[in-house]
Parts: sequence; structure tokens; C-alpha cells
Amino acid sequence: MIEVLAPLPVLLPLLGAAGALLVARHPTFQRTLSTVVLTAVLAVSVVLLLVADAEGAGAVSVGGWPVPLGVVLVVDRLSALMLVVASTVALGVLVFAVGQGAADGSEETPLSIFHPTFLVLVAGVSNAFLAGDLFNLYVGFEILLMASYVLLTLGGTAARIRGGITYIIVSLTSSLLFLAAIGLVYAATGTVNMAQLAVRLGELPEGTQVLLQSMLLVAFGIKAAVFPLSAWLPDSYPTAPAPVTAVFAGLLTKVGVYALIRTQTLLFPGGALDDVLLWAALATMVVGILGAVAQSDLRRMLSFTLVSHIGYMVFGIALGTAAGLAGAIFYVAHHIAIQTTLFLVAGLVERQGGTTAVDRLGGLARRSPLLAVLFFVPAMNLAGIPPLSGFIGKLGLLEAGVAHGGAAAYTLVAGGVVTSLLTLLAVGRVWTRAFWRSPNQAPVEDTAAAAAAAATERRRPADEGVPSDDAASDDAPPRTALQDAWRRHTAVATATEAQMPPAAGAVRALRPLPRTMVGATAALMALTVALTGLAGPLYGLADRAATDLFDRTPYVSSVFGEEAP
Amino acid sequence: MLVLLLLHLFAGLLAPALVRWWGRQAFLALALVPAAGFGWVVTRLGPVLAGEEQRETVPWIPVLDLAVALRLDALALAFAALVTGVGALVLVYCARYFSPGEEGTGRFAGCLTAFAGSMLGLVLADDMLLLYVFWELTTVFSFLLIGGSGRRLAARRAASQALILTTAGGLAMLVGLILIGQASGSYLLSEVVADPGSGTAMTVGAALVLAGAVTKSALVPFHFWLPAAMEAPTPVSAYLHAAAMVKAGVYLVARLAPGLADVPGWRPVVLGLGVATMLVGGYRALRQKDLKLLLAFGTVSQLGFLVTLVGAGSAELAAAGLTMTLAHGLFKSTLFLTVGVVDHATGTRDLRRLSGLGRRLPVLAVIGTAAAASMAGLPPLLGFVGKEAAFTALLDGGLPDRTVAVVVLVGLVAGSVLTAAYTARFLWGAFARKPGIPDTAVEHPPEALFLAAPAVLALTGLVLGPASPLLDPLVAAYAETLPLYAPEAEHLALWHGWQPALALSALTVLGGAALFAVRGPVQRLQGRVAVGASADEGYWNVVQGVDRLSVLVTGTTQRGSLPAYLGTILVVVLALPGTLLLTRAPWPGEWRAWDTPVQAVVGVVVVTAAALTLRIRQRLSAVLVVGVTGYGIAVVFALQGAPDLALTQFLVETLTLVVFVLVLRKLPKDISERHKPRERAVRGVIAVSVGAFMGAVGAVALAVRTATPVSADWPGPAYAFGGGKNIVNVTLVDIRAWDTIGEVSLLVVAATGVASLVFLRGRTGGVDRVTRADLARSSEGSRRAPRDRWLAATATLDPARRSVVLEVITRLLFHTIMVFSLYLLFSGHNEPGGGFAGGLVAGLALVLRYLAGGRYELGEAAPVAPGLLLGSGLLFAGVTGVAGLLLGGGVLQTAIVETTLPVLGSVKLVTSLFFDCGVYLIVVGLVLDVLRSLGAELDRQEDQEDPIELSPGEVVLR
Amino acid sequence: MTPTIVLPVMIGGLYAAGVYLLLDRSLTRVLLGFLLLGNATNLLLLSAGGPSGLAPILGYSDADEINDPLPQALVLTAIVITFGISAFLLAIIHRSWRLARNEVVGTDEEDRRVAARRATDADELDPDDLAPEDRAAMHADSLPADLEELADDVDLPAGQGAP
Repeated sequence: MIEVLAPLPVLLPLLGAAGALLVARHPTFQRTLSTVVLTAVLAVSVVLLLVADAEGAGAVSVGGWPVPLGVVLVVDRLSALMLVVASTVALGVLVFAVGQGAADGSEETPLSIFHPTFLVLVAGVSNAFLAGDLFNLYVGFEILLMASYVLLTLGGTAARIRGGITYIIVSLTSSLLFLAAIGLVYAATGTVNMAQLAVRLGELPEGTQVLLQSMLLVAFGIKAAVFPLSAWLPDSYPTAPAPVTAVFAGLLTKVGVYALIRTQTLLFPGGALDDVLLWAALATMVVGILGAVAQSDLRRMLSFTLVSHIGYMVFGIALGTAAGLAGAIFYVAHHIAIQTTLFLVAGLVERQGGTTAVDRLGGLARRSPLLAVLFFVPAMNLAGIPPLSGFIGKLGLLEAGVAHGGAAAYTLVAGGVVTSLLTLLAVGRVWTRAFWRSPNQAPVEDTAAAAAAAATERRRPADEGVPSDDAASDDAPPRTALQDAWRRHTAVATATEAQMPPAAGAVRALRPLPRTMVGATAALMALTVALTGLAGPLYGLADRAATDLFDRTPYVSSVFGEEAP
Repeated sequence: MLVLLLLHLFAGLLAPALVRWWGRQAFLALALVPAAGFGWVVTRLGPVLAGEEQRETVPWIPVLDLAVALRLDALALAFAALVTGVGALVLVYCARYFSPGEEGTGRFAGCLTAFAGSMLGLVLADDMLLLYVFWELTTVFSFLLIGGSGRRLAARRAASQALILTTAGGLAMLVGLILIGQASGSYLLSEVVADPGSGTAMTVGAALVLAGAVTKSALVPFHFWLPAAMEAPTPVSAYLHAAAMVKAGVYLVARLAPGLADVPGWRPVVLGLGVATMLVGGYRALRQKDLKLLLAFGTVSQLGFLVTLVGAGSAELAAAGLTMTLAHGLFKSTLFLTVGVVDHATGTRDLRRLSGLGRRLPVLAVIGTAAAASMAGLPPLLGFVGKEAAFTALLDGGLPDRTVAVVVLVGLVAGSVLTAAYTARFLWGAFARKPGIPDTAVEHPPEALFLAAPAVLALTGLVLGPASPLLDPLVAAYAETLPLYAPEAEHLALWHGWQPALALSALTVLGGAALFAVRGPVQRLQGRVAVGASADEGYWNVVQGVDRLSVLVTGTTQRGSLPAYLGTILVVVLALPGTLLLTRAPWPGEWRAWDTPVQAVVGVVVVTAAALTLRIRQRLSAVLVVGVTGYGIAVVFALQGAPDLALTQFLVETLTLVVFVLVLRKLPKDISERHKPRERAVRGVIAVSVGAFMGAVGAVALAVRTATPVSADWPGPAYAFGGGKNIVNVTLVDIRAWDTIGEVSLLVVAATGVASLVFLRGRTGGVDRVTRADLARSSEGSRRAPRDRWLAATATLDPARRSVVLEVITRLLFHTIMVFSLYLLFSGHNEPGGGFAGGLVAGLALVLRYLAGGRYELGEAAPVAPGLLLGSGLLFAGVTGVAGLLLGGGVLQTAIVETTLPVLGSVKLVTSLFFDCGVYLIVVGLVLDVLRSLGAELDRQEDQEDPIELSPGEVVLR
Repeated sequence: MTPTIVLPVMIGGLYAAGVYLLLDRSLTRVLLGFLLLGNATNLLLLSAGGPSGLAPILGYSDADEINDPLPQALVLTAIVITFGISAFLLAIIHRSWRLARNEVVGTDEEDRRVAARRATDADELDPDDLAPEDRAAMHADSLPADLEELADDVDLPAGQGAP
């Protein structure tokens, strides 16, 4: 079963990409093709997950070469779970992108480039998850990175080139470090097969082990955006087209986290560097979320929360307990879904409001209640408000932290709580300013926001500040707070409604939200909400996966059969 | 129970639709939901009093001990009754409070109903974590309800303040709950209370949980959010901020007191904050001019009172506390609703403007007075009973420590005096006729339905006073769970006979009356000593502090400069692996100088060349020097025994040079960018250390190798299964073909990317072919027919650009090279070569054609869109992969077919050859794409006076 | 296995030069740096195969005296990957030249703006800095303004107190 299915999540997208290239001249065909392919990938991944959960890990030796000569693909609970989540959001994003392309023509995202590249990206992600071979993991990373370079610089606008350069050069550096680390590992052990490494690395002198481990940690730390290796992320992600940013934010850093998990559990189970990771996690959480609080642009704010919440996952990994790891795994799954959704929503906000600069937006809750719901629920989820999945992940990590005990762990717990609160503060602000506050209430003196708006405004020229008398009349508050709530709620409301439309018109033209885009976003939001109900089985799965990772025999014996070398 | 909660949920989701259909009448329908809850609660009264508990448990996340565990006992029942009853009535009230078709009513209805549900869940939850879930839900809904339409700044501020503050407390509480749960081995409230853990964890946990309760119930020093929340419409104030949500803290304290009252620090915190809050609230209430605010501060004060009672951890006080809670829920919501009616009728809540309403709205006046009397603690109302019980309890013990009991008693009496005073102020302010103020006009006389809710509530308070013995079993059922300090338990009753407590009650009433009588001077005094809403400002200052901190931190960590980021990364490399290398790793015992001396020679060349690049500012020469290092490396590869590598490296280096030149011809000759000496110094240090580290670490790693490499077993199988003699090639196309397939897909994307950056709109434009027109234009006078001539397209070049030598060479070499490339492809399996090398060679041939003949020549040479080459190549490779699967073998499995063909004789066909062909195609496609975009397209842009003019420093390389 | 001295020195030298160029602000030099680093890493990877040997081609050489073929395969893959990426980077350089007439790594303006950020949003101002109607109502009773408003004793007509 696994033998046949395991390669498909990589092969199908590649064939799809080939097809998309051959029919580059027929967009409709391209669309259907990639949609079908990704749906198939999703189906395959689900089956793989079910099989892996039922029968335990399984491995394929590509080309039928006796292990460990060739490259092996390993499907265990963790990788299968990652595959499922990844292919789900990939599909959602694809639909969104198709919707956007249909709406904008190929201005924002030239489809003939987008489709093949996106498919290869998915192939790369799947390959990274399936790789049972360190060098193949590198190849997987390179594929998805190369694809991401292209997607990030789509259309080649100045902002994207700038952001793209930062992203590309940093990623290249991390890849070089990774490749060098592989060289070192091979030099020391004479193999790149991870199952075999799990055995051979243990035989090395301890100092060398830690050295190799630290090399890999740094390399993956960059990809996963762990502070202080994280500064590149908020500069590069927000510039890309909405669907691209969404899939980046959701998936790419998580591949790094996945690699971290593998390194820490399979290759270097000693937990030699757990303390380092703990403090890195704390710094990532706090610095990241402070960054989010400081931002005045929705996309950048989200990018910073992304960094900050990577800290949660690293926290779980660094605890070095099965409970912590389970929390981390669940959080990864949750975070992939939620970040993707939120960035897609940001895309919708940009269409609706013409910008993602929070201080330029306003009144969205009244103008598009649907959009308000689409934002509010995931935002609360991100902030870890129960009963949504964000809370469950956080709860798991906190429980693990408390159970672990010790000064460091308690500090991390405190840090995690503070981070969660500040996240709420950050998203709450977006809500109060962009969705509640009437547009013209945006503070004029906040040059940062205004400039940011100008920077992020791509679709239409920046709109001038609205005359202040308008502001007064729109906000028309009763002169003293002692005045009556009832009239405030009727008379003023209606009065405002009366001259809201012209005001809104003056601020920016309303763009209807294409149904496909809204549909895709809503579907993903529904998924994130559904995670609450599915939390029981899902967390159980995460827990089993974590247990497997800790006693490493399931992985090793899946590759070598019962008699592990 | 679960059903009830779900019912609320669905009602909440449905509410907006209902409002859209039925307008404000929808509230009546929605009211049925909590009403049903109330009905159910009442039916459960008997069984619960009979001592049986109702439990429902649905597993949710077993791993985290998080289950939907609901439990109905006496305490839960009391609160549930309050929540559902008041909830239903408030919803009824809403049906008239809002004007028909008012904006945002649907949203409001949804939130309010959902809130009622979460509140019910909160009091029913038995799993502590589940309780937290509902706890936060109430916070969020109150956020939405306070913010309303969100148009008004004050409302937004109040909403976010309430959200952040209560969530902060809530998060502390969450950690506390986890600590408690792990300390006492269970997350079920019932079990924790039955047998709480002990130790530091327990103490800390209790403290954190109290923090949650304190913020939620608006105790000092977090009392300020509640009055601010009065921005919300009156029904919200009446329900959330009087009856239900703020009671959550009281409930939690009451719930945990039986188990945790003796945890160190519990009593001091609870009693201290409680009394303090009661006094502060009462004091502030005395000078409010807005009736609603007056009530709000009254609520703060009363909450302090309640927490003191239920938190004291003694049976008698708990009984009093529970009674008082019910009483407060009844009278305070009544009063809020009354204010709402006044507001609605007259359009103001300012007691300086209201006058003579008592006459104009007699019914309302009666309702209000009844409720107010209960608040002031006048017999025969429930408020009196509760207060009386509290005083009695404290008089005869009630606390482990008598002196504390006395202190608390004094505080409570003082608080009650204030309560009586502001009650009087309220009544007078709302209904009295004031000298010199014209009677307020009643614009909208309230309808009966509008008055129904407050009436019912007031009536209940009135009836329950005399009927308090009926409450007694319920209250007692809860109180019994706590230790009794008094000689014997008091029972709830209106009349306990002449006793000290009665005197105290009288004292409070008289004191209140006196305070009200001298209100003028009192207010002046208060005005003088006003200190400002310091706690409130404190909150905002903290928020701004966080802002400033965030800007500071972000400004320092997020420099926005790529070199800075790279520097950080490299420094981390040095700091972590570097340190480990120096401190932990074992160094090689022995070294060899070199494999062959030639290595050293090449090494010198390479390193020198590398060093040179640092100084060279001329782009082209820098590129060439880097090229030198590349070729040097190729030589090293060859020396190392890797002919394939050497070959590929050589070809790649050459192609890279060409592509570089293609791009650089557009750029200025020199690199103008200069760096400050300091920067250069830092860079130098980092560079040298990284270099040293990488050099050393390789040797260190190699030195510890003892195991034999896996590849030691390759040679045999490589020929047996792989069917090839060139092990490296077999590895690429077979043993590790999976890497290769990934790699070629990467190349496909790279090519696509290059194209996308040059032809922004799509993959590529059409193929440039020579048209007769071009030739006619360029080669008139020439007698030969244009098309038969090979390399004809050079004719389209401007003669200055033509290079005869190049053309000749091309003529001589092109076909030879192409054939050679194919040879490499097919022989690769057994000798150096293979798809990569072959493809690269073919690519070089195309380069030659392009350089000699320009872009039309390129079109002639390869009249096919690169996309097709790439696509088909990827298809080839992929299909060979899938084929293995389809033929029942493994993915990418190789088959060897040996046949004898008539002409060629014995032919051995290894299927992996197809794979290699795919690689070949892709490499050619990549090179072609690069030439098409970076070569031809750039020429085109140049030919058609591209918008970007040629800058003086620009060199055209030909 | 015994490491040589020459290879580490070469590797170190290339890395040093590469890093120095990588930290430059001119994209061309960054790319050159990347090429040097790529070569260095390939060399490192190959040196992981141990001492030099004969070409791993059956028939030409014995199985036991060949140079380890696995690193060779890895390096070959790496070389080609590097080529693809550098081609793309060159396209980026060209693009950024066409756009901005320079090929220099720019700094992120938004970051600098945020760092220079001063203004506080109206939603976070101190209550005292707000217009009266925007203050939390309960705030009204504790403002200095309220002090001179003392005359407005509730027994007097509101008119005199609060006009």
C-alpha cells in the first residue's frame, strides 16, 4: 500500500507541473489540471495518514534498491499528518488564487507561471516531509525554495524584488549551511540515510555529535525563522501576492519546524541543546509578538505573529518530553491552517479596503459583515481564545511546560501566556481599527501608518485624508457621555448611515469580493473551526506521533525491517 | 444540559436571521431559549435538594484531560437559575428597548443569546479547563457587546480594555488551573475541591486563579473596566455587568472556597480586596451624576461584598453570600432596566436633569423603589435577609480568626452605609421632584412589555424576602460543604428576633440616610480629594508602555538591512557550532599534507583567485576571476578521481560565465557601491572566522569516521541492477534517481523564473524566426536565395556586430558539438557523461549559435518554445518514475532489456536511459530559456529603444 | 580517516572570500560570493568522501581503489542546483537594474518607519488627552475640570452647573 502511494504526493504534482507547462497556452485546462492534481494529492495523503496510523510507519526504497543503498521515503504518523495538512491548505490556496486570477486577469499572478511553479512547490514540500534521507531532505528544501523564489517575485514589482532578494539570499545561506552540514555528517558517518544515521551518529564521540547537531539546528532555525535567525521573514513575506504569502506563511516555515523535530528526535535524541532551544523559543515568542504590536500593516503584523508563534512550536520541541512534542505537532497543524486563512483574509481585506495599512482601513465590519466574520474567528483562534484550536494547542504546550517543571520551563510558560495576550492585543487592534472604527477616524498624525499605506497600496493611488468636518459628522458622538444611550443607538446611527455612503465612496471605491476567493477562505476558516471538534482524535494522533518519535524504533525498523543495524 | 448549551448556540447563530425576518420581536422568540433553561433548572431543584447531582460527560480531548464534563449541584443550580431567569427577562426587555429596524440589532441579539449560553456553561462546567473555555467566551461576547457598532471611540476603548484586562486575568487563571490540576491530580472541580493538593504549586495556582476572579469581577485594583463598560446598551449592563458575567468571579471563588480557602494567602487576598472594593465602589458611587454609572459603581461595591462573603470559607458566610448573590442579581438588574426605561422615556440619565418622574411614571417608580430597598437592605426584601445573615455570621465567629472577623464586619457595615446612601441618591435622582428643575417631559411612555421584565424581577426580590426559608435548603446544601465556625448554623429567615445584627442593619440604614442628607458638603469634600481615575490611567499607560517597548525592540532587531541579517546568522554560526568546535569536539590526531602535490598547486591558484575577487571592482574581471576558481575546483575534482564532476563543473562554469556576461553587458562596468572601513573590518573578521571554522570543521568531522560508507556496496549492484559501469551516473539516474528528479524539477522552475522576470506577463513570447522581410532588407544585392544559407540570420545583425571568426567557428563546430552531446548522453551510463553533461554541451552549442547569429539565429537553431522542452523533459522523467509503479515494480525501478537488432547487433537497453533523456531535455530547455530571455529578449528590448535608456557607463559586449 | 591539510585550507579560503562578498551590498558581488561559497561547499562535500582514488567506473578501475562515488553524486546534484539558482539570481539582478537603475540590496523602509514611529493611536491615548465625549464616562467624575464644576451641586439646576 504505502510502497505505491508514498511517492505520489511528489510525483503527481511534478507530472501536473509538466502538463501545465505543455499546455501553457490554455489557462482553463491548467486550472482544472492543477486543481485535480492537488485534490488527488490530498486524497493520497489522507489514505497514507490512515494507513500510517493504523499499521505504523512504512518505508519505500526508491528504485527498489536494497536499503540503505538507495533513497528511502518514510511515511510515519508525523510526516503523513504534515502531508494531509499541507495538501489541504495548498488546495485551498490554489482555489483562492484561481479565483483571484479569474478576477484580475493575469496582472497580479501570471497563471502560466503560477500553476507549474505552485505545483512544484507542493511537490517540494511533500518531498521534504517524506524524505528518509538527509540529502533528499535537502533536495526537497531546494525544490520548494526555488519555487518560492519564483512565486515571491511574481510580476517583478520593485517591492517584490526587494523583499525577494532578502528572502532568497537568506534562504541560500541556510541551504549552504545545510549542505555543508550534510557533508560533515557524511564525513563522520559515511551515510545520509536517516534511519542509519539514527544508529551511527550515536556511535560518534559526543562532542562531534553536538557539533553536527548545532550545525543542523542553525540551518533549520533559519528556515523555521527562530530568533535571532528570523528577521528576514517579515521583510519578505508581506510583499508577495496574497495567495503566495498565505501558502508561504502557512507551509514553508513549518517545513523547517518539521526538520527541527526530526533532528531533535530521530538523529540527536540526547536533547543536548534543549536549553539553547528553550531560550531561543522564548526570545522568538516575545520579540516576534512585540514586533507584531509595533506594526501598522495587517500583513506585516501577521508575519510577526507567525514568527512569534514559531516560538510556541520550538518551545514544545525543546521541552524534550513526549507531551511537549505532541503539543508542538498539534500546534504546527493548527498554525498552518490558521496562518494561511488569515493571510487569505488579508488578501480579501486588501480587495475590500484597497490597502492592508490598518490605519487607512475602517468600517469594514459594517461594510462587509461576512468579511468581519472571516477575520474575527480566525483572529480569535490565533490569539488562542477557546474553544478554538489555537487555545487547544496552547493548552497542550502549557500543560507540558508545567509538567516539565523547572525554572526555564516556567519562564517559558509565562512567556507563552504573555505572548498569547499580546497576540490578542495585536489582532484586537486590527479589529477595532480596521473593522469598527469609521475610516476617517484614522489618526492623521501617524505618519508611519500613512506611509506604510502608501507603500502597501498597489491597486489604486493612495487616497487623501478625508476632510475633518466629515470626520466630526461621521463620528458624531453626543456632546457628553451622559447623553442617552438610546438616541445614540438610533438617531446618530441613522444619521451616520445617512452620510456614510458618500463618505465611504470618497474614501475608496468598493470592490465586490469574488465568490471563489471568499469561498476558499471560508472553507479554510470552517476547517480551522472544525479543528476544535476534531481536536480529540487529532491530538490523540499528535500524541501517538510524538511517542513514536521518542522511541525511535518505529522509524528505524520501518526502514530496516525488524533487525535494525 | 449539553442540549441546553447547544440550543443557546444555535439560537445565537440563528438570531441575526430571525431579526431580519421578524424585527425586534425576534427577541421574544430568543427569550424562550434561556426561559427553557430556567424551566429545566427549576425542575431539577427537587432532586438536587434531595442530594443527587446531575452529571453529563462527553469526552473531548482525553490527552489533555479536557472533557465536556457538566455537573449540576446546589451552587450551580442557584447560579444557573439566576443566569437563565434574568437572561430570559432581559431578552424580553430588548424586544422594546430597541427601536424597530435599528442597525446592528441582529448582531446584538446573536451575541447576547450566545453569551447567555456561555454563561450557563460556565456555571455548569465541572472540568476546570472547560470552565475556562466558557470564561473566555463570556469575555469575547462582552467585548463585542460593549463595542456595539464600534463607531464610538469611547465604546471601542471600553471594549478593548475589558477584553485585554479580563483576558490577562483569565490567562493567569488558566496557568493557575493547570497548576492546581496537576498538583491535585484531577481537572474536575468536584474532585479538586473534595481533595485539593498541597505545596507551592497549589499556593501559586490559587493565587493565579484569584487573579482571574479579581479581574473578572472588577475588584480593586481592576475595578475600572466595569464602569467604563457602561458604554454598552442598558440590557447588556443589566445582564452582563450586573447579573451574570461579573458574577463569574464570585461563582469561581464560591466554587473553590470549600477546597482552597485554607490555602495560604487565600483569605487575606479575598477578604482584603473584597472589603476594599466594597468601600471604594460605594465612595465613587456617591458622586456619580449618571444614574447608570451610579449603579455601575454600586455593582463594583456589591461585588466586593459578595466575594468577601463567599470567599471567607465558612458555612455561615457562604450561606449569606449565596443569598446576597441572588438578591443582588435580582435588584441590580431591575435597577439597570429601570434606568433603561427612564433613559428611553426621557432621553437622559443625568440626575441633574431628571425631576418629578415619580409622578409621571408611577409604576416604574414603584418597581425601582422596591429593588432599591432590597439594595439598601430594608426589610422585608431579600437584600435585607442576606445582609442580616452576613452580619449575624460575622458577629458570632464566621471566620477562624475573631479579630479578622471584627475588622471585616466593620468594613462591611461601613460599606453598607455607603450602599444605603447611594441607594437614596439613586431614588432621589431618578424619581424625586427637584427644586428649580422643570419636570422632565416623558417623550416615550413605556409600554407594558417594556416594564414587564423589571417588574417581575423586583417582585421576585420582594417575594423571596418573606419566603426566604424556602431558599434555605438550597443555600444550606451549598453551605454544608464548608466548615461551620459559629456555634450553630443560622437559617435564612426574615425575622430572627431582636439581635445585634438587626441593630447593625438599622445602623446602616440610618447612616446612609444621614450621609444622603448632607450630600452637598460630602460632594464638595469628595471633589477636593478626587485623585483621578488612577487605575484607569495606569492601564492606558501600561498599554502605551508596551507600545513604546515594542517599537524599541522591533527597531533594534528588525534593521531592515540584508547584510545585517546575514551577519547575525553567521555570528550565530560562530557562536554556537563555532564554540562547540573549540570546546567539545575532538581534534584530528594526525594530518596528511595532501593527496597529491598537484592539489597544493591548484589550491594556491584557487585561493589566490578567490582573494583577488575581493579587491576587483570591475564586474567582468571579477566574474572571470571567480570563473578561475571554478575551473580550479574542476581540476581538484579530476585529481580527486571524479571525472564526471570535473566535466560537469567545467561546463557549468562556462555556461555561468556566459549568462553572467549576457546580464552584465547591461550594467555599468564598475561596482560603484562602496562600504565604510568599519563595515569592511567587521565583514573581514566574520569572513575569516567563518572560513577558519568551515575549514576546520570538515577535517574534524572526517577524522572521527570509523564506519564504512554505504557506497562501498555499490559497485556490484550498480552493474547488476543498474546496468551501468559508471557508478556515479548509475547513482544519478537510478540509485539516487529520486534526488535527480527533484533536481530537474528545480531546474524547470528556475528556467520558468528567469523567463518570468524578463517576460513579466507570461512564460515566454513566441519564437523569433527570420522572416523573408528581414532578409530582404538586410541582404538585398546578394544573389543567393536567403533561406538555403545556414546561419542566415546573422544577416539580420548590424554588420558592426558580426564576427566572421565566430561565424566560421560556429559553422565548423555546431553539429560536431551537438553530436558529441548526444554521445555523452548515451554513453554516460558506462563512461563519464550522462544527461547533465550532454545537455550542458548542447546548451553550449546553442550559445555559440546565439553569439554568432543573434537572437533570430537562436530562433532558427531551436524553433521550439523552451516551455515545451522543459515540460516534456519533466514528463519523461516523471513517467519513468510512475512506469515503475504501474508495472508493479517500485517507483523509478529500472528494467534492463537486451535484444539483438538486425543492424546494431546486440543492444542493451537500460530503461533509466529514458530518465536521463528527460534530464537532457530539461537542461537544454533551461539553457535555451536563459538565452531566450537574458539573451534574445534583452537584445529585443535594446533594439526597440527600451524605455530605459542606455546609461553612459554601460558596456555592450560583443 | 586522516584529513589532508590542503583541502581544508582551500575550503576555508573560499568560504572566507565568499562570506566577505556575500556581506556586500552590491548584488553582483553577493552573487559572486554565493558562487564561491557553492564551490567551497561542494569541495567540502567531496572531501567527505575521504582520500582521492580512481574514477568510480567499473572496468577502468577496481572497486576497492575508487573514490567514494556517493559524495560525487551529491556534489553533481549540488553543482547543477547552484547553476539553476545563479541563473535565476542573474535574472533578479537584471530586473532590479531595470526597475531601480541599481543592483544594490536595499533596506526595508517600513522597518525603519516602524522604528522611527512616534505617534500613539487615538485608541490608546491617555484618557485625559481625549476629547471629553470620548472619555470613559466614569472618568468624568475625577477630572480637574470637575473641581471648578463643584458649584454644580446636584440640588441646583443643572443649567448653572453644566451649560
